[in-house]
This record gives sequence, C-alpha cells and structure tokens, in this order.
Amino acid sequence: MRDIKVKPTHQQKQEEEEEEEISSSSLSVKSTPEIEKKYVHRVYDAIAPHFSSTRYAKWPKVAAFLESLPPGSVILDAGCGNGKYLGLNPNCFFIGCDISDPLIRICSEKGHEVLVADAVNLPYREGFGDAAISIAVLHHLSTEERRKGAVEELVRVVKPGGFVLITVWAAEQEDKSLLTKWTPLSAKYVEEWVGPGSPMNSPRLRNNPCFGLESIPESDVSVKEQKDLESIPESDESVKDEKVSNQQEYFVPWHLPYHRAEVSGASASALASGLAKKDDRKGAVVYNRYYHVFSEGELERLASGVGNAMIVDRFYDKSNWCIVLQKEALNQDH
Amino acid sequence: MRLIVHNMLTCNVKGVVNKFPLKIVAEKVVKKEVDFNLDFLWHMLAKIEWKALVDGARSLGYSELPDHAEALESNESFLKKFHHALLELHLEEGSLVCKETGRKFPVKKGVPNMLLHEDEV
Repeated sequence: MRDIKVKPTHQQKQEEEEEEEISSSSLSVKSTPEIEKKYVHRVYDAIAPHFSSTRYAKWPKVAAFLESLPPGSVILDAGCGNGKYLGLNPNCFFIGCDISDPLIRICSEKGHEVLVADAVNLPYREGFGDAAISIAVLHHLSTEERRKGAVEELVRVVKPGGFVLITVWAAEQEDKSLLTKWTPLSAKYVEEWVGPGSPMNSPRLRNNPCFGLESIPESDVSVKEQKDLESIPESDESVKDEKVSNQQEYFVPWHLPYHRAEVSGASASALASGLAKKDDRKGAVVYNRYYHVFSEGELERLASGVGNAMIVDRFYDKSNWCIVLQKEALNQDH
Repeated sequence: MRLIVHNMLTCNVKGVVNKFPLKIVAEKVVKKEVDFNLDFLWHMLAKIEWKALVDGARSLGYSELPDHAEALESNESFLKKFHHALLELHLEEGSLVCKETGRKFPVKKGVPNMLLHEDEV
C-alpha cells in the first residue's frame, strides 16, 4: 500500500502521534493482531481436515520452481498448510512450518519434517536453506509491516544466492464473480486493526463504534473500484464519503459441511462466540478468512524494500501475483 | 524431529543472544532407516554446525560422532555415522531448551512447537 503524505493540521498531527504511540508501543510487528487470531488462525484450526482434502492439485508454476532446484537442496516452506508441496521434488530435503497445529499434524502423518512456527518470526538460523517458498501465505497478514517482515524472514533463512518464491492472491481476480461472494472490510473492524500502515487506522475512524460481523451492501463500498489510495481528508466526518476505495481487505467465506464440523468440535465454540454462522440451506458452518489481496506491483514494491535481495522473476498466474527473489551473494574481494 | 532440523532451530524470544543451539531433553527417541546419499551428505557438511550435531546426537543416545569433522569427508565410516546422526534419529517426545532463558519448546509426536507467547515477542 502506498503512503501518501499530506500536510496535517496541528490537531490531526497530535492525534496521529498519540495513535502511533499506542500502536507501536503496545504491539511489535511480530505480535499477532486480533484479526489474524480470529479470522486466520482459529479458522484454519477448525477447518484443517476439510481444507486439506480440497488442497491437492499441484500448481504447475510452483512445481516448476521446485523441480528447477539442484538435487540435495534444503527447501524451507513457510506456511506449508497441509504440506502439499513438501517432497514434491524427491531429490530435495523439505522442512515445512505453519502456524496451525492441526494442519502440521496432517503433514507430520505423511512423514514430513515439520514444525509449528510463525512466518513473521521464523525460528531458524540465518542462511541454512538453499531455497524458500511462501505459497498463498502473505495475504493472511494484516499489516504492511508484517508482510514485509515475512519477506525479510524468507530472505534471511536462505543462503547467499538462494532463491525465494512467493505467491499471493491478487486483487485482480480472473473470475470476477468471486468478489461478490467476499465481504469487504470496513471501518467497523478498526478495533481489530493494528498498525500505522493501515488506511483504516485514522483517529477519525477509531471513534466509530464497532458492530458485529455484517455483510456490507455493495453501495457503501465498491468492491470493483481500483482507485488509488488517498489520504483521508481531515475535514470529512462521514465514513460513507471517505475515499478508501482501493478495496483489498476481505473476509472470504469457507463452508464447512455439518458432518465435518461435528467431528472438529471447534465449531461449537466458534458458533457460540459469533465467529462462524450456520447456513442450513447449504448444510454448512460458514467461517470467514481474512485476506489482504495484493494489487498489481504491490508484491514487487514490498520485496524491493528488502535490501539484500533482487527480484529475478515476476508473473501473474491464475489470479495470483508471484515473485522470485534471489538473496545477494557474499562479497568477493577482487 | 531429526537432527538436521535441530541444527537450524533457534530461540526467537526477544532479546535473547545465545539462541542457538537449543539443548535437547529427550523422552522418546525412534530410529528410522533412510537411504544413504553421499552428495547430500557432502552438501550438508558445509551447512551443519558440528558441535551442535555432536551434542544433539548425544542427547538422543548416540555418541559415535567424532568431535571434529575436518579431514574426514572421504572416510566411509565417518560418513555412515554422520548419515545416521543427521537423518535416522527422531526425537518423538521431549523438549528443546533455550540455553540462555531455559524456555522450553515442546516436541510432541515428532513435531516441535516453536510459537512464542505475547510477552516473548
């Protein structure tokens, strides 16, 4: 997301300083924001076996990357999910990690070398991996700082000259009808929002009370608009008129069939706490997963900010933005 | 968890300096044979922190590794021991302990959990 600076009024400056003090002192970039705890971690834990059963098709572009690596490579998969890519190249040694224990269990049962860890804070020493992959992970991180932190971690843990492949969901979806099934996030979630990078985190918006999870009618926020992000005009009190229409924050539903939900057990508490809803017509418990979908060029800008890596490839494939980075080689003395 | 992974793991608690290696407290160790791959072993020799491997192997009940690896790369007997320690010993139950803080990371059914609490980040 771009930072566009506009000269603030004295009052706005004071409010911004206060709020930055609160957000930066109370939470470090490696701390998990509420929105991710509720709408990423808890959801994947609850849906793990069902999710895993739907994740089996190997994406050709990822397979090609993995198959291009030299035999004997140590490949680190950060956010490996159900382990779909672990072992894809039988000549390489894969080590996977994910924040979801139920998903890691599924990997472990298949015999893979895995651990439970956080992609924003990898418990790995520097330069051990020959390559790293991050497939459909960064779009679950709710602030730019955290997304950048995750990219930095991927680069840190590979050797000098090592490659990193990152893929994320694109705001520019090939199937536009999908967007109508997603719930765009509004200022109602500002309390769960963390980080000065978010367009929602302005003093004016923080004063709005938080309501429950509701589907926002299309007239309030256009999901198809691709306008540039502008700074929020300080004189404007109305939420409706705000120009934050570069819609990239969504809740994407996951339908967990009733028979699967009963086995999981987690759904009972999710329903009780309002985290999930029943859809009798579809016979499923509906969970929402938080996504920050990436706009064109955003992944590149994020990666460019990492000092010791170069972008060596970038492409759009099947509604995902993808990038390959190479970590700087060690300096050679002449 | 095999020692190849242990050789990479660190304690990420904020402010910790002595984050590697983690001490292994083993409760259950299992041996599983894996095919020997010479090229892979040579590739790993360059990455492995040797002392951490020796100490880790000892914690898992295997004390056959020499204290130093230099000049042994072509020695077949050495390579077999290296192979065994690196890839064939599995810590199924136990914990990984930070040498600086004593913080324990549990290992259950072969899977370490390295997640930190809010106040450790």
